[in-house]
This record gives sequence, structure tokens and C-alpha cells, in this order.
Amino acid sequence: MLVELKNGETYNGHLVTCDSWMNINLREVICTSKDGDRFWRLPECYIRGSMIKYLRIPDEIFDMVKEDIVVNKARGRTDNQKNRGGSRGARQGFGGRGGGGNNRGTGQQQRGGPKSFRGK
Amino acid sequence: MSSGLESYVNHTVSIITSDGRNFVGTLKGFDQTINIILDDSHERVYSPNQGVEQIILGLHLIRGDNVAIIGEVDETMDSSIDLSAIRAEPIGSVVF
Repeated sequence: MLVELKNGETYNGHLVTCDSWMNINLREVICTSKDGDRFWRLPECYIRGSMIKYLRIPDEIFDMVKEDIVVNKARGRTDNQKNRGGSRGARQGFGGRGGGGNNRGTGQQQRGGPKSFRGK
Repeated sequence: MSSGLESYVNHTVSIITSDGRNFVGTLKGFDQTINIILDDSHERVYSPNQGVEQIILGLHLIRGDNVAIIGEVDETMDSSIDLSAIRAEPIGSVVF
């Protein structure tokens, strides 16, 4: 995947890990300067999430994330059922689903990334 | 709690980032920091002496910090625009 930083530099490499701050670990990286006239090859690098402007991701990842969401929803349902035994809070369940949904969207995409790359 | 963006999901949106670039694509997701997932996206590059250049980008995740404006695109109206005839100065970037 390609990472463009706020300073205009781009980093092209394989995603290894990332976290919920979007901090990113890349391997086999090609760094390109802001003007695109200079290049560096780095065996690995770590990018602080707050420096990122955007990520360009292979299209396949999107389908993999969709599958992941289905799997996790199924898992979540069983978890909810366990929880429901104890608490009668309809609101609790609702909030969890709504709020968690969005987080899950991006979180999973990132989490899905490294697994998929390892697979290849 | 739902942000206004919820209604844009799976619709074509146009995003202007703080560096003055314009991305157009299908909004697939967002989170509380306005990180944006754009599918089938392209960048529109405006210039004063030639038509709008469209650069195909595919799947894009834009970090919320850089998002300045998000707008829903009326697809029928958008497709009726002759981009090659548009001459425009590119938007400047936000000065930090």
C-alpha cells in the first residue's frame, strides 16, 4: 500500500502492523520525496499515524474487510447473547452496536491488512 | 449518535483536503475522527490552461486531519459536466 504523509513524502511498502492511532509499520519500503525526484529504499519503517495524509490501498482489501465484518458480526452476536443473560439494558446493546460499528469499519481494515499481506 | 455523514454512505462524494486536492469517490465508511474510506476514487486536478485531469486511484483512506470539505455529488448532474472544458486555478492549501 501507499502512504502519503502530510509533508508530501510517500512511502510504498507492505503493511506489517498498525494500531488504533494509525501508526504504521511497513516493510520493503520505497520512500519518494515531496517532488518525486528522489527515492530511498528502506528495509522497514515506522510511521506515526498523525503524520499521515492518506493511504492508497489495494482494491482486494475492501472485499476482505467485508468478509471480516460478516465473520465478526456473527462473533459479536454470540457475545451479545452471552451478555444479555446478565443485563437487560437495551440501550447498552444499541449503543455498542452503533458506536462500535464505525470504529470497526476502519479498525478492521487496518487489522485485516497485515493478515492478508502475510497470506500472500 | 450519528453524524451527518451517515446519509452519504454508499453515495458519491467529493472531498476537498487541506492541501487543496479534490477527491471524488463512493463513501464506504468513516469514523469519529472523520477518517474517510473512499472506493473507486479518483482525483480531479484543475489547471488554468487545460481541462480537468482525472487520476484513477481506487480504494483510498483519507486521514480525518486532512479533510476540509465533504459534499454529496449528484451523479446525474456530475456526469453531465464536460470536465475537459473546465479551466480553473487549483485550490491553494490551508496554511498551517
